[in-house]
Amino acid sequence: MSATSAISVQGLTKDFRVGIRGLKLRAVDNLSLEIPRGQVFGLLGPNGCGKSTTLKIILGLVAPTSGKISILGYPSATSSARQRTGFLPEAPYFHKFLTGRELVRYCARLSGVAPSQLDSAVEEALALASMSEAGNRTIATYSKGMLQRIGFAQAIVHDPELVILDEPTAGVDPVGSAAIGKMIHSMRDKGKTVVLCSHLLGQVEQVCDRIAIMDRGRLVLEGRVDEVLARRDKHVITVEHLTPAAQAAAEAALQAQGAHVTSITHPRRSLEDLFRELVTGSRDA
Amino acid sequence: MWHRATWLFAGTLLLGAGVYSESSWQKIRPSVPEIGRKEIEPSLGQGVLLGILGGLRNIIADGTWIRSYVYWEKKDRAACEALMRTACALDPRSRYFWENTGCVIGYDMAHWEIRRRGGYNKVTREIQDEIFKKYARHGLTVFEEGVKYTGGSPSLLISAGQLSEIKLKDSLLAAEYYRRAAESRGAPWFAYFLCAKSYWEGGKKVEAYLWYRKQYIEKLLPMEDGSPDDLNHLRYFEEELNVPFLQRIPRQKWEKKI
Amino acid sequence: MLKSMKPSLLRIFWLARLTFLEAVRQRFFAFLIVLGAAMVLSSFAFRFLDFGHGELKFIADFGFGGLFFFGSILALVMTAQLLFAEMDNRTALTLLAKPVSRTEFLLGKFAGIWIVLGLFVFVLSTLLGVMLWGRWQELVILAEQTAKVAPQFSLEGVFSHALLQWFRLGVVTSMVLLISTIARTFLFAVVVGAMTIVAGQLQWLAQEALFKPAELNPFSHALLWLASRLLPNLQQFNIGDALALDPSAVATGAVSAAILSGGFYLIAYLFLASLTFQRREI
Repeated sequence: MSATSAISVQGLTKDFRVGIRGLKLRAVDNLSLEIPRGQVFGLLGPNGCGKSTTLKIILGLVAPTSGKISILGYPSATSSARQRTGFLPEAPYFHKFLTGRELVRYCARLSGVAPSQLDSAVEEALALASMSEAGNRTIATYSKGMLQRIGFAQAIVHDPELVILDEPTAGVDPVGSAAIGKMIHSMRDKGKTVVLCSHLLGQVEQVCDRIAIMDRGRLVLEGRVDEVLARRDKHVITVEHLTPAAQAAAEAALQAQGAHVTSITHPRRSLEDLFRELVTGSRDA
Repeated sequence: MWHRATWLFAGTLLLGAGVYSESSWQKIRPSVPEIGRKEIEPSLGQGVLLGILGGLRNIIADGTWIRSYVYWEKKDRAACEALMRTACALDPRSRYFWENTGCVIGYDMAHWEIRRRGGYNKVTREIQDEIFKKYARHGLTVFEEGVKYTGGSPSLLISAGQLSEIKLKDSLLAAEYYRRAAESRGAPWFAYFLCAKSYWEGGKKVEAYLWYRKQYIEKLLPMEDGSPDDLNHLRYFEEELNVPFLQRIPRQKWEKKI
Repeated sequence: MLKSMKPSLLRIFWLARLTFLEAVRQRFFAFLIVLGAAMVLSSFAFRFLDFGHGELKFIADFGFGGLFFFGSILALVMTAQLLFAEMDNRTALTLLAKPVSRTEFLLGKFAGIWIVLGLFVFVLSTLLGVMLWGRWQELVILAEQTAKVAPQFSLEGVFSHALLQWFRLGVVTSMVLLISTIARTFLFAVVVGAMTIVAGQLQWLAQEALFKPAELNPFSHALLWLASRLLPNLQQFNIGDALALDPSAVATGAVSAAILSGGFYLIAYLFLASLTFQRREI
């Protein structure tokens, strides 16, 4: 158990019993992982790879078959660990008759926020999630993006050190996703640790500092985003105003040095960047 | 180990609750007349009905009673009795169900059986009497049961007395029923005379007079009613028994001079 | 110890409050309370069916029957539905990820539902009590005019019965909660819950049979002994007739004994539900 880790997972295995004969389905297979503090950590993998199961075990919602887990130095599934953790589930559902403010207030009470600090904590959480104005409307009137944001607010209202988000941008438009990305970074800038579980790779790449990739219950890769994505055997040089003559001279110079030019193309921006450039403002408010 | 201990504790808690509930049930039972009496036990079917109906027993009992008339029309002895008994079990404090069940069994069912056996011309007089007595005794059983549940209804006791007189031709048995009726709460004024008359017809004339006289002086005379009919009957007994004048009931102001 | 329990009790309170708010908003609750009230009020219309029961007894019987029947349905369906809704909608995920223990979650659910049932019982009992009291006043005057004995009636008895029914429904709720923590589907929980309620209502037969041990073989005796302990005797809560119309027939301490018995079962079932819920994967 590492004191510097936000989450420490050692030898985690989870088997589910399936059917009448009780056949075992191994969802997580001997997973060991250290998630450092103060970073945004992305847990990736295809559907059914075991990432949601891993998160549930970390939160104490499902019991592991074997393995040890600690959160911020405390054994997971204890009250001490959960008091320091905020969680936004996938496709969150909240009681529709409550207003956003009432929901956040209710969650604050359950999380042990002192009565004297309740009002300020609620307003702060709503402001961070950009839901202050919509806070007095009932949840039944919220759009998908607003549901995600109010879910984010209830997860952070008690100022947790660790925030776990399961598919926070699923079904949310790019503008909303960008807003959520900003919220995540602001949490990190405050010294919080954010664990993000998603299979939307483009967003994870932009938001996360470190990532881990799971497949069939096993850890396949883990490391800093820059490091794991960099192709050290190749280089990209971006040039402006390249004429055909200049291109030929550059190729010749590189070949003389033993380099091999494999392709010359125009760089592309992402569709998301283009979308955001073209669409201004949020449509949610 | 801790896990097992917790489950063991849970099991002990549940069993402990069960043990206590036995003693609480002992306290509650008498409040539920349908099942509060040791000597009266409903059948399993009646027990099931009682169990699953937390209320609504009256309306179900009424519906059952009305349904029993269908079988009375058909002269179906078994079905008629079963439904009437069910109505009694569902609402055992209602005198109405007991009284009419007893009367139907005591008076009607004997005739149904005689007719089933071929009619009055075919069934001999002796067998007819046997059948009447059999059903009369059965009817009396119902009345006795009803008396226990209704807390000694005088109306049921009088009906039992009448059944004893008419069908069993047992005046002394009838007298016992009439006497119980007269001694119960809310007894009608004529119960005393019926008792005395039955004792008289049963041959216990002196006992009849003495008992009737005692009841008249202690209970009937102090009432505003005065009950002149009872005094007239007592005078008749005094004449028949040749009771000396000084030992007779003192003359009342309203009595006609002989 | 109380000071250390305060945060836990507060969490249970807030969970109960939300459960209560959710439950009273349900149309099902409104529907049953209206049906129950209609049944109580309609007893006046059915009085002609009185075969000498006594008018007050007839009205009381209708009212207590409505309370019993609709109260049982409400307890059964609402308990299973509220718990399964939390698990199916995954609001339970959000709540249990907070420093809320599974025991607190269940106790909060139970408390919220029990308060709703208390409201249901109170409304119907008040309506019934008012009707009975009003009619009793009329019958007393009539009895005085005709020199007959007036019927007995105790308003206190009506509310004592209401308290008993509330405890009965509390026991039913705790049983259904236990079943729901094990069941995989809402339908299963409702069906098994209904069977358990019926078994609880008939449990008195097992207890009565145990009073005659000579008539039983050892195996039957053991089976009945177990059945009479594991299931509560729900029949002991149905003494409304006696409480309201013949209070002298109720032994001293009988009501308290029934309430205490119900309380013990309630605690036992909630404890068991808490144990089984610890193992449930959300």
